[in-house]
Amino acid sequence: MKKITIPIGPQHPALKEPISLRITIEGEVVKHADVRLGYNHRGIEKLAESRTYIQNIYLVERICGICSHSHTTCYVQGVEKLCGLEVPKRGLYIRMLVCELERIHSHLLWLGVAAHEAGFDSLFMYTWRDREVVMDLLEIISGNRVHYAINTIGGVRRNLNEIQKEKILEGIKFLKKRTEYYTNLGTTEPTFVARIAGVGILPKEKAIALCAVGPTLRASGVSSDIRKDDPYAAYDEIPFDLCTADTCDVLGRVVVRVKELIESYKIVEYIIKNLPQGEIKVKAPRKIQPAEVVSRYEAPRGENIHYIKSNGTDKPERLKVRAPTLANYPATIEMLKNCFVADIPLIFAAIDPCICCAERFVELIDAKKGNSTVLSMAEIRKKYYSTETKRNVVWPL
Amino acid sequence: MNQQELVEKIKLELGGKIIEINAPAERRIFLTVAAENLVDTMKILRDLFGFYHLSTISGVDTLSSFEILYHLANNVSCLTVKVSINRQNPEIPTICDVIPGAILYEREIQDLLGIVVKNIPDPRVLVLPDDWVKGNYPLRKDWNYQAPEEKIPGEKK
Repeated sequence: MKKITIPIGPQHPALKEPISLRITIEGEVVKHADVRLGYNHRGIEKLAESRTYIQNIYLVERICGICSHSHTTCYVQGVEKLCGLEVPKRGLYIRMLVCELERIHSHLLWLGVAAHEAGFDSLFMYTWRDREVVMDLLEIISGNRVHYAINTIGGVRRNLNEIQKEKILEGIKFLKKRTEYYTNLGTTEPTFVARIAGVGILPKEKAIALCAVGPTLRASGVSSDIRKDDPYAAYDEIPFDLCTADTCDVLGRVVVRVKELIESYKIVEYIIKNLPQGEIKVKAPRKIQPAEVVSRYEAPRGENIHYIKSNGTDKPERLKVRAPTLANYPATIEMLKNCFVADIPLIFAAIDPCICCAERFVELIDAKKGNSTVLSMAEIRKKYYSTETKRNVVWPL
Repeated sequence: MNQQELVEKIKLELGGKIIEINAPAERRIFLTVAAENLVDTMKILRDLFGFYHLSTISGVDTLSSFEILYHLANNVSCLTVKVSINRQNPEIPTICDVIPGAILYEREIQDLLGIVVKNIPDPRVLVLPDDWVKGNYPLRKDWNYQAPEEKIPGEKK
């Protein structure tokens, strides 16, 4: 059978990030996948070297629109370690509160995307409607829906009052009920389970060898969570369970994230009920003595790591950022091998950068002859997604 | 095993390979080795101490040398292996044979700092544009790039 290479990206209306995937298929089965990055490289690490520590908070916040709080927290707690600041407990708790609310909004968004990719659009619409509740909570706390700008070096910028606390508890109560309903729905709806079970297998040994992170790693049966392994802020004081699954497939990744949602609700309730009194921030020095620090953080997508080196001035010598999605690419390539073309969006969405397919064109290149043809999505569906084609090939897994 | 025991054990196992080792904070260890001992050190750290997870590779230009930092993690600590290399002839061996997940980070330091990773399984450019002028390494401190004058096609001369 002839091999065909399909380019997906780099520009695509539904993509969060411009990324290019080159997928080589033989019939209906993916034989090889390759990833090309750099379409969105903004030189933030270089830029950070010419800005002050305070200016950099707002710079790193703009690395990502969904986990903006992850980057600022990772950065400020590194800088705080560099200057030896002791952040007040109340500040740490508010920081963790925003962090868990962000995890809730990111996981709900992802659950919707995953359901949409699996063809379960009613679940997609439900989760995205409910996500508005948590977005509103974030707006109540910080004044912003996306870039919360709540962190500062030495603490947080905004305090919480009783009315806000009450509203958060109310919202969480509603979301808890909804998530229980989704758990029930997602695990008992046979078509949904059949669509995601056994797709995108990533064995435990491969997940460890390829340095996967976050829910992708935990769904392969590895119990690793920075909140437990390397507790930052005040996570060592908060009771919560680490969520894992051992099915190593997309189903496992859904289960891990839904369980994490429920854990996050518990954490938020615990934080609100045990919020310490006192100051929310301390004053930070402008210049920092030469030192280096490694700061780690469990973002919704996995481990986020910042390496900061200071040189005695008010600007860092070096700021290295590694966001979780980059760490998951080698594992994604492994998952894509020997899957079906129709599973590509599902598998790719399962690590959390969404590549949901609206109307689009792809170019098909005959690997031997080099001829190329351009097909519309409808034609591709007819050619590759039809059930007859699926029945003609041997199940690869 | 706590961090202090871990440091003592690493000292015992690596012996003469260690140039410097210290633990400045809780769950943070910094270890300096020479570039020729890097792969062996990684193998020992992986097999005997469970440092399977490579978080990332950072590169720092200190103007006298390049410092390459490998951030490893296990369930006890986060260990940073530091390698200092010559600025005139920046070469390090690949660690992809020991930790396959290192490939993207090695490609990244090749692009941005101009460090040659010997025997890298996939040497292609990762983050820089396809038409990037060769020999420009943005994260070097002495990099001074002058962007060519912008020309808009069809504008009046």
